[in-house]
Amino acid sequence: MAYQPKPPDGWLKTNLRYYKHPGSWAWILHRITGLGLTAYIFVHIYALTTLTQGPKAFDDEMKLFSTPVFKVLEWLLFSLVLYHAFNGVRIVLVDWANGAKYHKKILTVVYGLGVVLFIGMGILMFREPIANMFASLK
Amino acid sequence: MYKHTGSRGSGAPGWVLQRITGLLLVIVVIGHYFVMHADPASGHTYAAVLERMHHPLWKMFDLTFITVGLWHGLNGTWGIFRDYKMKPAVSLTIYGVIILSGIAFWVLGVNTILSF
Repeated sequence: MAYQPKPPDGWLKTNLRYYKHPGSWAWILHRITGLGLTAYIFVHIYALTTLTQGPKAFDDEMKLFSTPVFKVLEWLLFSLVLYHAFNGVRIVLVDWANGAKYHKKILTVVYGLGVVLFIGMGILMFREPIANMFASLK
Repeated sequence: MYKHTGSRGSGAPGWVLQRITGLLLVIVVIGHYFVMHADPASGHTYAAVLERMHHPLWKMFDLTFITVGLWHGLNGTWGIFRDYKMKPAVSLTIYGVIILSGIAFWVLGVNTILSF
């Protein structure tokens, strides 16, 4: 086979042209969330190096991370974790169990469980502002 | 042709390990989120970290977590690149960046954990 560095139309066009089966969306999302989480683990490791600079440096940084903007970003990040984790289990079931037969049903569970746990985490993380909101309504 | 696509072996050990580390991370990362990120008031002070780091088990756990997490993420990233035909120089550069950044950040993380 002749060596072709790129598909004739370019890789982006070729990828966009694919028929998007629910399974292809799952595959695309798995890659995007995986790259996102990998980028995040680098940020995470770097951010925690302030622990080597003593209590003040670390506690000041944590104050910044407790601000509303960071809390919301932290919550949104959990959606990547949930999707990637549950779809990853789906991949293992397809590869190592009889998952190929039920992969669409498993995908429904992946999305369903993900949404439930995402909302649950939101309630846990923002329980104080939520409680304050309801208190102010009375 | 294998030379040009940057894949020498079959990739099977990486494929199996990706699944094993993945299953481990499902429990560990979701657990980590509920323990560390669900409540901003829990364990996010220097004193709390110092307290945890006095236990060798926590240290071992964090060292394992950082190793498995980085490996899974970077092996997955390389897996994505492997799907595309690349010029040898491009393939080698990407592989080099993945390996070197992995080692650098692993050392950075391990250094933080072992500084206690």
